[in-house]
Amino acid sequence: MADYDVTVIGAGPAGLAAALAADEKGKRVLLVERAARMGGILNQCIHDGFGLLRFGERLSGCEYASRYVRMVEAAGIETTLLTFVTRVEKKDGVFHITLVTKDGVRTVTSTALVLSTGCRERTAKQVGIHGTRPAGVYTAGTAQYYINILGEQPAKRVVILGSGDIGLIMARRLTLEGAEVLGVFEAKSTPSGLTRNIAQCLDDFGIPLHVSHTVTRVFGDARLEAVEISEVDEKMQPIPGTAQKIDCDTLILSVGLIPENELAETLGVTLDPRAKGPVCDQNYETLVDGVFVCGNALHVNDLVDYVSESGASAGAAAADYSGKARELAELTADGGFLYAVPERLDTAGDLSKTVVFFRSREVREKSQVSVSVNGETVFTKKYQRLKPPEMERIEVDLSRVKPGDRVTLELREA
Amino acid sequence: MNVKKINRRLQKNGFAAFSVHETEDGLVLTGKSDNWDEIVNAGFCAAKKYGRTHVINDCVFTGDAIPPIRAPKLVDKAIDGMKPDVLVIGGGVVGAATARELMRQKLDVLVVEKEYDLAIGASGRNDGCVHPGIDLLPGCEKHYYNVRGNRMFDQLAKDLDIEFDRCGQTVVFDSKKLLPLAPLIKLYFKCMGLGNVRVMTEKKLKAFEPALRDGMKLGLFFPTGGVVCPYNLTIALGENAAQNGAKFSFDTVVTGMETQGGKITAVHTNRGTVYPRAVVNAAGVFTEDVAKMAGDRFFSIHPRKGTNTILDHKTVSMVRTSYSLISELKEEGHSKGGGIIRTVDQNVLVGPDAFETYKKEDFTTEAKNVAAVFQKQGRATERLRQSDAITYFSGVRAATFEEDFIVEKGRKCANIVHAAGIQSPGLTAAPAIAVALAKMCGEILTAQGKKAEKNPDFDPHRQGIPRLAKLPDAERAAYIEKNPAYGEIVCRCEEISRGEIVDALHRPIPCVTVDGVKKRCRPGMGRCQGGFCGPQVAKIISEECNIPLEAVRKAGEGSELLFGKTKGGAENG
Amino acid sequence: MEKTFVCIVCPNGCTLHAAEENGVISVTGNRCPKGEEYAKAELTNPVRTLTTSVATVFPDRPVLPVRTSGAIPKDAIMPAMRVIAGLRVNHAVACGDVIAENFMGFGVDLVATDDLRV
Repeated sequence: MADYDVTVIGAGPAGLAAALAADEKGKRVLLVERAARMGGILNQCIHDGFGLLRFGERLSGCEYASRYVRMVEAAGIETTLLTFVTRVEKKDGVFHITLVTKDGVRTVTSTALVLSTGCRERTAKQVGIHGTRPAGVYTAGTAQYYINILGEQPAKRVVILGSGDIGLIMARRLTLEGAEVLGVFEAKSTPSGLTRNIAQCLDDFGIPLHVSHTVTRVFGDARLEAVEISEVDEKMQPIPGTAQKIDCDTLILSVGLIPENELAETLGVTLDPRAKGPVCDQNYETLVDGVFVCGNALHVNDLVDYVSESGASAGAAAADYSGKARELAELTADGGFLYAVPERLDTAGDLSKTVVFFRSREVREKSQVSVSVNGETVFTKKYQRLKPPEMERIEVDLSRVKPGDRVTLELREA
Repeated sequence: MNVKKINRRLQKNGFAAFSVHETEDGLVLTGKSDNWDEIVNAGFCAAKKYGRTHVINDCVFTGDAIPPIRAPKLVDKAIDGMKPDVLVIGGGVVGAATARELMRQKLDVLVVEKEYDLAIGASGRNDGCVHPGIDLLPGCEKHYYNVRGNRMFDQLAKDLDIEFDRCGQTVVFDSKKLLPLAPLIKLYFKCMGLGNVRVMTEKKLKAFEPALRDGMKLGLFFPTGGVVCPYNLTIALGENAAQNGAKFSFDTVVTGMETQGGKITAVHTNRGTVYPRAVVNAAGVFTEDVAKMAGDRFFSIHPRKGTNTILDHKTVSMVRTSYSLISELKEEGHSKGGGIIRTVDQNVLVGPDAFETYKKEDFTTEAKNVAAVFQKQGRATERLRQSDAITYFSGVRAATFEEDFIVEKGRKCANIVHAAGIQSPGLTAAPAIAVALAKMCGEILTAQGKKAEKNPDFDPHRQGIPRLAKLPDAERAAYIEKNPAYGEIVCRCEEISRGEIVDALHRPIPCVTVDGVKKRCRPGMGRCQGGFCGPQVAKIISEECNIPLEAVRKAGEGSELLFGKTKGGAENG
Repeated sequence: MEKTFVCIVCPNGCTLHAAEENGVISVTGNRCPKGEEYAKAELTNPVRTLTTSVATVFPDRPVLPVRTSGAIPKDAIMPAMRVIAGLRVNHAVACGDVIAENFMGFGVDLVATDDLRV
């Protein structure tokens, strides 16, 4: 018998919810966290707006995390902090998880595995920023850590590239702490962050947002001295002759998040190139039996409430994991979608309340999302407006789906 | 030397605005252009490849202001009045290796480096290849030192406790033309000291490097090729030199020299004046400037920039050893080969390219150059994707117009030795160049009446920082038992522990910068590029070295990460 | 007086239109009553909840996240930051503890939004 029924890797909001859900089913749960405390990235999210769906309140990120941490502590779930998973192997249907801690190296076994490893930020190099390599080029999350955890000011005159939510939040945060934010530049023609964040983080402080603009070069040998901004065309290519140089000491990047699935990949999990996370079924079980995934490791969410929801579902399903064979059907989303999750349906399991998360590829007005099984429409929902930055959630009864059925998600004009 | 003939050649090749004249120093090229490439090409036209009389570039470049040397602002008297037996100028791989070699004798050695750390120039900005020396012809200095240096690497890596992989190098051809010559090729390289070169036909080649595109007709495998981490090697050489008593002074730029009767008597720096008996000129792209200060400028450096890209670990199966394609398609421009290389840290490195530049320290990268390298190297494998890049960097090679190394005593200055024109395969050759330079220094010192004396305490061994993630579990656990900090992972991408970072801060050559730590034990070298561990590394530096967080620097002077505390008022309930 | 703006109460981010006529404010575009409330306030007396951090005396936790327990006038945000810059916590705190009562006289408290375990 394995040491644990369910091992959850990562104690951010997804992992905390997963551990709680598995524990509620009376299972032996181990929650593994790399950092010195639970809560994950929420610990540095001191701004509010978290938990409206889950708790009906506007909490700060740390408050939201605190609530879950207290529940996990109250439940007496076994947790191991400052613990790094170096290796996971599946042998004879059991997961062997090698953990490195200050006490040494140990291997534990587990029947099921929940990966709640979160995501990481795209870097300056990954978005092709060239020029010199000075100090003062930070991802938004790094800057956030400096300010909110270390209490240090990383910037005085700031340019922000990318209008993702963390970038917008940091524009406000840096301004509050006395920095001058010269502008937020976004290569796309529409903002990437939530509209309310543009209102309360930029508009409130008179910070300009320039869409269809990007940073094409950085200057400065020791510390950043300036950035070159260029206008871009529809293909996001810089338009010659539009370059302007802006003097600044800091460039903050909020240019996207990438689910962290390096561990999942070592287990042979298949990734969905659109969602950037593992292909999974409605229970968030990946294509490797017994490996579940949730939260931002699955796809990048804009609301923590949904992260917790997927965590709870994955945790509960992992607790119920019996090794029984699944019978999978495919759920495919048409080209109108940026992505949709899940990509598979386990017809041997419960499909009566299948939750599908999706994002549209483009901003579109008056649209209809429909789900059809073998060409027959079984669900429709109308939207006034769909925007890629705003993830949508639908719940569909798909109990009728049988293995081999063609289940499709379609987006049309309404 | 037929100056007339050379001038005719310049005329004929479209360099009418240029001419050479012979001086006692060499062949001086004069002319004027606002186009740097034209000046360089005139230099090539005038020079004899591998020649020992060098083209000295006195042309006037009117296209732009040539940037001055990047010198530290610091001024103090830290080394003022020091009288080392040997002053080594330059903390690159040649300077560090030479300092180490010199310590085999009982000598007082001082290394000055203008940057904040070792290996900031070309030594830290190359592809790390230990070359077999495929294209080097016997008789040139490059061939001599490359063959010897290459052979030294196994022992050196063992002594210095650094990773070295003699994985071999593969040259790939998309044409079968050379196949009939295979026996001759094998014989040729055997005679050249390159060992048993393996000839692979299409099928064998594909089996050997499965990621190669179809249609690669012929492969030559050179077993003496290898890879090393170039800055790790340089730092290890420097540390071992320091362990054996060599002194290092960083942020120290040579600003001038005093000479008397063809001898250097004093060397001025921003940190004081030193009075060495002998000087080693290992100043990389600035060797010409140093030689000039010594009254011994008999060559010129034309900087040549190259850019490399590092890919995510995920792509490592793309290459088993390292390969480069020699295509039938015509190469464009004055571009060196470059290739796809598996680094010792299990990343893929792509590049480099080659562009002439008048900026000796232009370490910028350009999107178009990276794209061009990918296009070129992508002809060998279709798995090469720019989206897998985690970082890119540029280095500047110190090339002479003769495209050969200069490893010799001063021609007009009696107590200087030069290591100039050390471009590829300089990394491979460095250990052998160091042996030669140390010997020359010994001769200079003997001539001055200083008796050579062996250093009985010399220890060639250096212990590196343990790389916990590469150890078997039991060994790793043993380390953690001794020091629990080895069990606290700080850099998640490269799996680097707090203990390793703390170790990096307490080495024979101190480093108190984020980049210094990064080079020594790799936190921040991974796919997140320090996004997560950067602040933590800064905090560890602050705690271990007892400096405020806002004083922690990324790299050199003025690269502080932070501006100070956001707040901190009076105590309040 | 009339104004159009984005509602910041929830992620829906409705575009609200508020108009005042003879002292009566009418709001359109809102999908919930909270939006109406927000729009009315935004037209007459815009308010915001402030989230930031205060310094502590503990080197391992140099700052503690805090927020105002309710909204304060938007104009008071930067002055509030200056007041907060003068505070320093010197004892253990639990998430929700009051750091400054009746903060700046606005009738709301400044509360910790995280534990400070010492």
